[in-house]
Amino acid sequence: MNNIPTELKYTKEHEWVKAEGDIVTVGITDFAQNSLGDIVFVELPEVGQEFSKDDTFGVVESIKSASDLYLPVSGVVTEVNEELPDAPDSLNSDPYDSWMVKVKMTNQDELSDLLSNEDYESLCQE
Amino acid sequence: MKQTSLTQAHRDLKAKMADFAGYEMPIQYAGVKAEVEAVRNNIGVFDVSHMGEFFVEGKDAITFVDYILTNDFAGAQTGKAVYSPLCREDGTVVDDLIAYKLADEKIMICVNAANIEKDWSWISSKTDGFDISLTNKSDDYSLLAIQGPKTEKVLASLGFESVTNAQYYSAYESEWSGCDVIMARTGYTGEDGFEIFGGHETIKKLWSQLLNADVTPCGLASRDVLRLEVCYPLYGHELNDELTPLDAALKWTVKLKKEKFIGKEALDGLTSKYRLVKLSIDKGIPREGYPILNEQDEVIGKVTSGTMSVTNSQGICLGLVQRERFPENKKFKIQIRKNIIDTNYHTKPFVSGGHK
Repeated sequence: MNNIPTELKYTKEHEWVKAEGDIVTVGITDFAQNSLGDIVFVELPEVGQEFSKDDTFGVVESIKSASDLYLPVSGVVTEVNEELPDAPDSLNSDPYDSWMVKVKMTNQDELSDLLSNEDYESLCQE
Repeated sequence: MKQTSLTQAHRDLKAKMADFAGYEMPIQYAGVKAEVEAVRNNIGVFDVSHMGEFFVEGKDAITFVDYILTNDFAGAQTGKAVYSPLCREDGTVVDDLIAYKLADEKIMICVNAANIEKDWSWISSKTDGFDISLTNKSDDYSLLAIQGPKTEKVLASLGFESVTNAQYYSAYESEWSGCDVIMARTGYTGEDGFEIFGGHETIKKLWSQLLNADVTPCGLASRDVLRLEVCYPLYGHELNDELTPLDAALKWTVKLKKEKFIGKEALDGLTSKYRLVKLSIDKGIPREGYPILNEQDEVIGKVTSGTMSVTNSQGICLGLVQRERFPENKKFKIQIRKNIIDTNYHTKPFVSGGHK
């Protein structure tokens, strides 16, 4: 059974999003880490980098494959989890504590495109 | 999708399953890392029943197999296995395989699952003039690869007494639990181990007993990491229909002193188009298809297999580089997405392995 916290929002690409004011925190879901298997490498952006919605902002790699990370909202990176590249396996053990980036949104309307926990659960069961 | 005799057993263990050469195969169980570590330090078992088994029997069996293979099969002792490319007249590779000399008139050939039909069609078209019978028994056999330093001890404890005296790359017919099996001290991980061919029910029983003996079930993902750590080539990656064995650094398997074999004229005096390189990087993971560049950032080749080495904790790869552009200074870079990364050039496999 996948762990899908109720207080978060989700993307179809299996990222979780926590919105607080105009700042969003982004990571990958339990379903994503489970599908990837042993995660061994993470590539994250620099603070200050600007992205549009759906841009690739990083890469997460398991032993088997590399997967792009897509930013679900437009904005500027304000913080990066610097500990993650040194401990990529924490994405396997604690996907919801292992956040990747915090982004200051430039268009908060984009949040309405995200999935609720119920919709995301349905997606995972497809 | 075809299944092996163990498909249900894999599902019961909650393995991640995927299509591999038309078979539903386990990719991983608990995790790739744990499986690689089990094989390097302890013992693991792979269901590789999707591989194909052909039998060549009769008076000319050795002569025929020696003729279709580039490696020296006639010169191998009875009871030995021989790794060899199977080439066309123009020197390109149909497949790479292992031929097992079980008796002077009985040879088993084990081929890659993805190439069973192609190999069968090729080999059976070459039998004219040879007094042999050729049979495809791929559907009759299941196959387990048991690999790791504790293999001999565990198999002996399960009643395989013969393993204690078996040499590396030996192959012989035997019995286990009242059933016929074919034993081979071969494998694809670089570690000591056996490949055991048998009927479906025999192999199902063996699988259960191995798991009861705390042998780690391993999937095809860890198998790929293990083979790449010891730099074994894989058909579809370092070898394919367009390349010769020379392109994939397999000159040692082409015995031009043999009187005749398919591909001899083409391979005699041929210069390879590519050179196989072993590269590692300190940050990131090189993946198949990534460009390999020289010091001037010119593309001179590409990665053919790449992964994260669990044993060395670094990104490793094999790649083919154009022979005429191979840099004398042996400085190579790899382009990973937008980044161009320096590499370490290796002359030896990334992991030394521990086979007998």
